[in-house]
Parts: sequence; C-alpha cells; structure tokens
Amino acid sequence: MRNLLFPILVLLLPALGITAEPESSPPSWQPPIPVSEHTMEVLRAINEVDAYATPNLGLKQDASYAETPSDVSPFRHVQAFKQHFLEQLQYTGPGRSKPEPEHVDSVKIGFIGPIEATVSVATGGRSHEEALGQMMLQGAQIAIDHANAAGGYLRRDVPFELVVHNDNGLWGASGNELVDMAYKENVWAALGTIDGANTHIAIRVALKAELPMMNSGDTDPTFIETNIPWVFRCISDDRQMSYLLVDYLYRKLNFDRIGIIRASNRYGRFGVREIRDSSRRLGKPIVLEMAYPVGGKDFSLQLERLKQAGAQAVVHWGDAGDGARILNQMRERGMDQPYYACDRCVADEFVKIAGDNAEGVTCLYPWNPNRDDAQLAKFREDFRARFDEDPDTYSAHGYDGMSMLLWATQVAGLNRAKIRDVLAYRDYAHEPWQGVTGEIKLSAVLDDVGEVFLAKRENGKWNFLSRDDLDLPRGYTPARDRSAGEDE
Amino acid sequence: MATLSETLPGLKAMACLAVALLMHPVASEGQVAVGADPNPVATPSDPGMPYVYTNWKHLTVAEGLPNDHVFAVKATDSKVWIGTENGLACYDKKTQQIQSWQEEEGLPWRVVSALEIDPSTGDLWIGLFGGGLARFSGGHFEHWNQLNSGLVNDVVYGVAIENGNVWAATTAGASRYNTETGQWTIFNEKNAPMEEIWNYGVSTGNGKVYLGVWGSGVLEYDLATEQWKDYLDPDGEMEIDLYRDDGIVHVITTGTSSADGILWVSTYFGMSRYDGRNWRGYYAHETGLPSDFGNAVKGRSANEAWYATDRGVGVVTDFATDTWVTYTQDPATHGGKAVVKRGSEVVAEISLDRCLPHNYTLCVDFNGNDAWVGTSKGLAWAVGDDYYVGLKKTAKESK
Repeated sequence: MRNLLFPILVLLLPALGITAEPESSPPSWQPPIPVSEHTMEVLRAINEVDAYATPNLGLKQDASYAETPSDVSPFRHVQAFKQHFLEQLQYTGPGRSKPEPEHVDSVKIGFIGPIEATVSVATGGRSHEEALGQMMLQGAQIAIDHANAAGGYLRRDVPFELVVHNDNGLWGASGNELVDMAYKENVWAALGTIDGANTHIAIRVALKAELPMMNSGDTDPTFIETNIPWVFRCISDDRQMSYLLVDYLYRKLNFDRIGIIRASNRYGRFGVREIRDSSRRLGKPIVLEMAYPVGGKDFSLQLERLKQAGAQAVVHWGDAGDGARILNQMRERGMDQPYYACDRCVADEFVKIAGDNAEGVTCLYPWNPNRDDAQLAKFREDFRARFDEDPDTYSAHGYDGMSMLLWATQVAGLNRAKIRDVLAYRDYAHEPWQGVTGEIKLSAVLDDVGEVFLAKRENGKWNFLSRDDLDLPRGYTPARDRSAGEDE
Repeated sequence: MATLSETLPGLKAMACLAVALLMHPVASEGQVAVGADPNPVATPSDPGMPYVYTNWKHLTVAEGLPNDHVFAVKATDSKVWIGTENGLACYDKKTQQIQSWQEEEGLPWRVVSALEIDPSTGDLWIGLFGGGLARFSGGHFEHWNQLNSGLVNDVVYGVAIENGNVWAATTAGASRYNTETGQWTIFNEKNAPMEEIWNYGVSTGNGKVYLGVWGSGVLEYDLATEQWKDYLDPDGEMEIDLYRDDGIVHVITTGTSSADGILWVSTYFGMSRYDGRNWRGYYAHETGLPSDFGNAVKGRSANEAWYATDRGVGVVTDFATDTWVTYTQDPATHGGKAVVKRGSEVVAEISLDRCLPHNYTLCVDFNGNDAWVGTSKGLAWAVGDDYYVGLKKTAKESK
C-alpha cells in the first residue's frame, strides 16, 4: 500500500496547485565515501575556484616549528629576523581547473623506493636499502589491495593501480623516475622514498610537475624544510626523535659527555644534526663525532677515538647491520657505555648480529608497534597472508602513506591539485589520520609531528616508551628540572 | 598560426592618467611618504616615481602556444622563445606569428625548462625537464643526455652560455659543454663546494658563472681563476634567517642573475641582492614582493630586478630608494593592478585592465624596453615603449 501512495500523491499535487520541486542532484564533486563536514567545506571551496583563484581556506599556523623546545632552538636568545615554517603553504597555481580525463582504465598511484640493488652514490656506495624499500612497497601494495577490495576508485568503478619505480641509482635517478611518472604514466600522486638525497631530488620534480608526494620512509628533517606545498610526510622525523633522545640523555640520565658514531652518508650526517646542536645548546656539547663507511667491518679507529674522548654513552646513527657490528666491537674492546641508536636498528638484523649485546640497547622509534589496535592487527594479518612474513616499520608507514593518498584521491577526484588540497587542508587537530602506526597529525608544513618513542631492548624484546612513560615533560623545561637523577 | 590579442584601446592612457591623479597630492607636498619600514633605506625627499608598465599583452594557447604552462622565456629583438610544459614556441614580434615544436616535430622531450641563445652563433640551447639538453640550430634539434654525453643528469633546470661554453644546471650537479672542443666537464661535490648538488639555476655575468643550488646557496665560478666561492646563509639554520642582511637569506636557492656587477638571487624563502661587499635581503612583509616564494629572478641593472613569485611579480625598480612595483592579476576580473611601494609603504596603486595572465609566475626576461613574464597560464608581454630607468619626479614628467 505504501508503495502505491507515493505515485498517487505525486499525481495529485499538480491538481492541488502544488508543484513538487525537482529533487536537486548532488554536486558531481560530492565524495563517494563519507567525510567530515570540514572536508566537505574544503571540497566546496576547491571546487568553486577557477584557474585563477586560490581557495579561501584557513591556513594552519604553528606556534613553533616542529614543536621545538625553546631551550634547544637555534639562537634562542636573539629574535630572528624571519622565522620560517610556521604558516601553511598554499598552492596558488591553476591546477584545480584541470578537467578529469574522460576515460580511465585504472587510477594510477606512483611508488618510488629502493627496491633493486644498484651502485648508488647517493646512499654511500653500493646500495643497501633494498630490504627497507621492498617492505615499504609491500605495505603500499596492501593499501592498494584494501582499496580495491572496497570497490577501487568508486566514481569510475575502476581499480587503483600501483606504478612502481626503483630510486637508488646514481644521484638524480629518482628525478628521472618522477618525470616518467608525472608525464608518461600520468600518476595522480606518488609515495616515496627512503634515502634523503633521492627524496630531495624527487620532490623538486614533484614541485615543478605539480604532483602530490607522500613520504613514509625518509626521516631526514630537511625533507620538509624545502617549502614545497606538494609534499607530505606521515612518519616522524629525526628531529622529533632526537629531541626525545636529548631529553632522555640529559634530563633523565644526566649524562654530560655523549659520543656519536654515524654512517658517512646523508642519513648519518643529517640524522645526528639535531642531537649535536641540541647538546651544544644545552651546554653539553658532543665530545666526538666519528663517521664510518657504510657496510664497514672494522670500526676500531672510530671506537678507540670515542674511548679516548671519554664518552659516557655512545649514540649510533646508521643501518642495523653496521649498528650491531659497532656494538659488538665496542663490547669486545671493553667499552661498556650505554648504547643508543636510531630507529633503523630496531630490526631483526640488528638483534641477530648483536646477539646478547642487544640487551639493554635503547633506540628511537617513530611509533609504538606494541599497542593494541584492531586496524594494525588486520594489516599484519593481511600482510602475512600475502607475503608470508611480518611487516616492519617501513611496511606500516608505507601502508599509512598510501592509504592517505588513496583516501585523498577518492575524495577529491582525479585532479592532482585537489588531491593535494584535501590532504593539506584536513583538520588534523580534530581529525587525525587513524593509521596502523597510530594517529597521524600533520603540522603547518605537512610533517608528522606525532608521538615518538624510545625502544628499549629488555628481556629479549623491544619495549616502546613514550614521553609520558618516561616522565619527560614536553616543550621548555627549566634547567633546574632537567635532571631527574635517574641512573641507567 | 594565430595573432596576438591586443589590449583595449586607450588603456595605457587611462592608466597613466590614474598614476598622475594618484601621484598629484603626494608630489604637491614635496615629498614621498616613507613607510614604517624598521630598516628603511635612506630615502631622499620626493625621489620620484618608477616606470609602471600599463600596456600588457598575453600569449596563451588561444594565441597559438602549445601549452599555457610557461617554464622558460628568452627574448631577442625580433623573436621570443617560449619553453612550455608541452613544447617549444617562438613568437615573431614583427609578424606576430607563433611557431611551435613538439615531440612530433623533433623536440627531444616535451617539457622545456630552460632556454638560452649563444650570442656568437645564434643557436638556441634548450634545457629539458627530464629529457637532457638540446640545441636548435638551422631548423634541426641535436640532443644530449646522461647516457650519450657528459651531461650529469637529464633533469635540467637552467642553461647559461659564456665564451662558447654551455652550462646546464641539473638535479645532480652542473655540466659544462665546450662547443668548440666537444669536451664536457662535470661539477659536483667532488670538485666544487656543493654540500648538496641539486642545481636549480645558472647564469653568467661579470666574468663569473653563478649556480643557484637547492641546499647550497649560490656558487660563484670565476672564469679567470677557475676558482669556486660559495655564498651560504651565515646562520646555518633552515628554519630562521637570523639577520636579514648578513648574507643570502636562505640556502634553498632557485635563481641567480647578474647585472652591472650586481648579483640578484631568488629563493623559496625570500630574495637577496649582493654588490660584492654587502648583502640586502628582501621579504614580502617589508617590500613590494608579493610573496617570499621566488621561482626565478632576472636582473635588469644594478638597480632593477624582477622577481617571479607564486603570487605575482615584484620589481625592485630603484634599489637606492627601495622603490618597488608589484604586478598582480585580479582573479575575479582578470584585470590587474600595479602597486608602487617604498619599502612596505604603498605610494600608488594603478588599476590595469590587463596585467599578468596568472599570478603564478615562473620566469622573466627582457628585450629593450619590454619585459616578458612566463606564468602557469600563459606568457605576459609588458610593452614599455616609453620605459625609463630609475625614478622621475612625477608621472606627467615621465611622459
């Protein structure tokens, strides 16, 4: 009966002098998946502008860059003439007006990473990051799988397709690869890469070609310090992790003399910069910084010098295998100083090579993989099912980064500028990205400034400790409160 | 082939009248207001007005360009070469015709990112974004890339020529090609002070070659001594500029241009001028720069430089008095305006029926009195038949 009532009413309405308004169809730009009201506002704004206007959307403003504690800020006693990275960058070009292609068989998303062994000047000689790149690729593939299982690109009912490129050739190889992706393969966005040099080269191309680029594996702080409105990073960087380590070393453990041993490549060089600078700014300069060739076997020179310098603790920045060999050689030489390392050493390879020496090591880590999370559990389950191995940090961040790109593409449509916009203007303060690596909140310069952790090797497993766990305050801490007097 | 669209009749006269009306009260008071610049350049009373371009023409796809996204422009007296995201074009000023070349016509790669003309041969040298380096001579293209030559990388951002040497700024260092001997030389971290090797721009002048290097500031190569010198931001920090005039404002350098012994520099964080002894930094909040995001710079003299930014063009028209003219398009009307500033103080604002075709500007060049600005929505031609250098007392006098 109810089925008949509606047609009858429709027929009667004109006779009663009532004209039914034709139901207005939703705008073509309406997203095919539910989004927040804020994202709807962003979509309205970016779809209203033509080639000449810039959408009138509020720009994020950060009170401080990268939440840097004031006592480790550069030249903190002087007001700098200009401070950068506090206001979100805009894209002011005409890209939003580009029409979507009439026909697509698939929606291509690029991937660039170190997945093939090469000789690479950029990464310090023979390439050594393929294991990391492969894991990142597999994480990205799981994200594509999940998106396609949910219907693919819903506006056109076509699948997402991953377009995969290797990055670690000679310096500049990543630039050529990005050009191919942008102009020949017509990807809508890209994920990559890990090595800082290759990443910098890639994002310079992304800027000119106007291609959104998500990074999930390069923790080089300078990646985001380039003022490019097209790049995003969904992993906390070495700056964030260094601030935690510095607080821990000086405020918690009250060390005075820290030594550094690092890889003689860009990863090592830039990785320790904030530790070195922050130590100096806190009045406890690094006693010695020694570099070693990547993949080295004999570290006796570096270790002897560190020993002579009287380092109370040693910080290592480099790959897992090198880090483990250095640790073993330290212990063989009778150096029993506490050993701290970058996140790359939270790896099976490190534990395998270091053996019993791994116990007590403390590393930095950009997330907490031990937390109880259904999404993370499902990701691990699907990863194991497809690749017959466990995912690592590069897989998890690769999954999150690719998922963010896929979400943005789904929501914005096939337009690079709009894909960039929905990611850039997302209200991360109230709507952080819920990733398998945890909540991702991007700063004004679109960098992940979320929680970072210390990974302590205890009783044969890694325990992940936050600032709260460590009872370390955030931001500025008066000198009198820096040391809690704890002994390690 | 297509003809160039013309500006509305009488536009120029109207704009000049507007300048005169706007300037009259200021001039009658015998001095020009000095703004609230905290570090003002010494300003003489009534220094006069700069030349303001009021006659703008546009070259776009509608006029025959192969693509509206203009990465490079090189102007000569008779021809203007235009490098776009999808092809090369040449505008003949006399016939007002545009000829274009894409890959089907032999252009080795679609994206043209840099252009330079060898003054001794007239050959056109073409930087290709991901396609290497090409020479267009006698109607034919020759092609060099990282696999068949000493070009260090195929992603070429800039090209410059001195004494028969062609310099290419690439994403993996700089290459120099001697057109007489055929010898290539590569400059990177091994033989030049490049902390990073991501070259972004190259220019010549004053017996020097200047490389704008992303992350390594400006590198100066002295042609006589063959020695390098680097210019870095003295504070060494990416997130601040401690003191404005202590050196280059930032190391993420995008462009360099030498004119009359002065080096002009653009970065994504502000701009700089260097006279060999003193640096001057420029930021949007205290000058006529429409933005700190500088895509390119072209110096015209020791006193005048044009900065192409993502929000319009900022022109230092008279260095000594810190006088600027800012050219922007109104996105709503597609008209525009020119704003004359002394430091951050607005001196005059001139409405224009036509100005830039888009505010996202990427490159600048000059020939004679005219200026050319490449944008991401076409090329602007600023016609300056009555252009004058520096300042004049009043707009009326300037006519």
